[in-house]
Amino acid sequence: MELLLVFLGASITNNFILARFLGICPFLGVSKEVPTAFSMGLATTFVMTTSAMVVWFVQTFILEKFGLPYLQYVAFILVISAFVQLTEMAVRKISEPLYKALGIFLPLITTNCAILGLALLIPLKGYSFIESTIFGFGAGVGFTLAMVLMAGMRERLAFADVPEPLQGAPMTLIIAGMMAMAFMGFSGMIAM
Amino acid sequence: MSKGRGLIVTTSPHVRDEDSVTKIMYNVVLALLPALILAVRTFGLHALWLIITCSVTALASEALAQKLRGVKVTINDGSALVTALLLAMSLPPNLPLWVAVVGTVVAIILGKQIFGGLGYNYFNPALIGRAFLLASFPVLMTTWEKPFVDAQAQATPLGLMKMEGVATPYSDLFMGSVSGSLGEVSALAILIGGLYLLYKGYIDWRIPLSYLGTVVIFMTILGEDPIFHLLAGSLLAGAFFYATDMVTTPITKKGRWIFGIGAGILLVLIRIFGGYPEGVLYSIILMNMFVPIIDKYTVPTVFGEVAK
Amino acid sequence: MSLWKEFAKGLWDENPVWVLLLGMCPLLAVTNTAVNGLAMGLATAFVLLGGGIVNSLLKNVIPHKVRIPCYIVVIATFVTIADYVMAAYFPEVHKLLGLFIPLIVVNCLILGRSESFATQNPVHYAISDALGMGVGFTWALTFLGIIREIFGFGSIFGVQVLGDWFTPWIIAVLPAGAFLTMGIVLAIFNVLKSGSTSEAECH
Repeated sequence: MELLLVFLGASITNNFILARFLGICPFLGVSKEVPTAFSMGLATTFVMTTSAMVVWFVQTFILEKFGLPYLQYVAFILVISAFVQLTEMAVRKISEPLYKALGIFLPLITTNCAILGLALLIPLKGYSFIESTIFGFGAGVGFTLAMVLMAGMRERLAFADVPEPLQGAPMTLIIAGMMAMAFMGFSGMIAM
Repeated sequence: MSKGRGLIVTTSPHVRDEDSVTKIMYNVVLALLPALILAVRTFGLHALWLIITCSVTALASEALAQKLRGVKVTINDGSALVTALLLAMSLPPNLPLWVAVVGTVVAIILGKQIFGGLGYNYFNPALIGRAFLLASFPVLMTTWEKPFVDAQAQATPLGLMKMEGVATPYSDLFMGSVSGSLGEVSALAILIGGLYLLYKGYIDWRIPLSYLGTVVIFMTILGEDPIFHLLAGSLLAGAFFYATDMVTTPITKKGRWIFGIGAGILLVLIRIFGGYPEGVLYSIILMNMFVPIIDKYTVPTVFGEVAK
Repeated sequence: MSLWKEFAKGLWDENPVWVLLLGMCPLLAVTNTAVNGLAMGLATAFVLLGGGIVNSLLKNVIPHKVRIPCYIVVIATFVTIADYVMAAYFPEVHKLLGLFIPLIVVNCLILGRSESFATQNPVHYAISDALGMGVGFTWALTFLGIIREIFGFGSIFGVQVLGDWFTPWIIAVLPAGAFLTMGIVLAIFNVLKSGSTSEAECH
């Protein structure tokens, strides 16, 4: 039950994009088409879940054990870069067309603040190993959800007569604002 | 309204001539009249001022926006008026007029015009206005009045139920002596309007049925009083007037079922488990977000097409 | 290429926020008040400068294949310094900015400038560019912070500027308000810029 709450909190009520402002760059950049957005979301979810696990290990068995809190940022970012490299290689092996479709966005997951943010939140919340993994997974799911919803809307926006100054980023941001307003409906729900 | 088959380049409404949009819109206005008249009778002159303020602001902002966009001004097609009335219906009766103005401007400009006007917005404009006001002025937007008595505060039936476990008699909810927003007052008034629209074929029966049906089923499962939840708050208004907005709801029949069921589940979650006593607003705008995806993936296969 | 031009471009024509659309995460998160926006801008500018200088000086030493991780480690080091300095001397602001200080590490602006400019040019140009981008970023953040603070609190830098008649618009300090404000301001800037021919890059 606890784990379910962690999952729902990470994916819905404290959605990483719409509530925590993490992962805005890919959200603005990769959310133009549904299939691409979904693939990006999947890749990100994978990196988030696996990084969460490794980060927990690093935090518990290295940083805390040897008393090196000041190396936290450096250590985490290195872990994340390594995992993104891994994911990139895996995707390339599994599906060449997918690799081509995601293009530059894969290495960009490294600079996705959502991942580093996730890494930093885990020691802050003091999650156990299982909780960290679920948290990472939930964060990824929520991220994917927001991306896919936005992509669905932006796909249709191509046919609309949006005033010129609003085209592109301003419109995406305003839609994101409305999505954030909609998600406010979930507040207070985690005390289930 | 055309059914979803073949070459759809834009979303509904699919207008062959401007008359059909106008006809629908003014019939919606007609359907809203019982509820509006009752609201004014229950809450007095200020309610009337709110309705007028919203309407005038809506027409003015739409005209201004269309002028700025360099397109034809179409305020007489009735859609801005409908948005205004729907927004007014969702406001507390003693709301300061300037707040109503802000909400209406947001609803028309942000909720509709920046998307390119009628037919292109994703979120129900009136509900966007309301969501904006609720987020900006939470206290003003949740101060309710006792019906028929001036300036006396009273919680809504849903609020009473959630916070204090106090039930309200069905007759009060049905006939209209409860507190709430202008449109929440009388289930009967809403039903009259809603059934009229159904009878005339201006709204699709699938949405109210799936929305209300899902709520009744899940409320019963969870041990709550389904009749109470049906009559209280703005569920009926939501089911007949907000969730049936043809622009922001799915085109396909299957899609409409999904929309109604999804909204119903969300409503039950919010009313029972969430922080707010009422969830109609959020249940609908949350489902609005899914409509492009729903439409995309529930398109019926054309005969002869190979399934992907 | 002049030192002044490299500096000035970051202020408007190639403003990291309004034109390049970089650094969005901290932008939306910390601009709920003017002082937070200013602090984040300055912290980022510091890292931009430090990281840019070091990366530029080391550009011939770092092997090409591992350059990105190396840049990131340099940047992370400067962020750590900034973090500890802020915690020591400005504890309140440090607490308010919270998670977003370490997130400066992954601010696409900093890595981007290191990769595309600092390591392609001599150090003095790198300094110019970093300063320009830093100032541009800071004023953009502070500007947005001021707007949101006025609507959300009726104050600027904590000083009440709107009287008692004003009812705060809470949404301004909520995530939804951040998105909406940024979108609207960006649209307004696009209108202002529609005379010039600069392209808005969708990052």
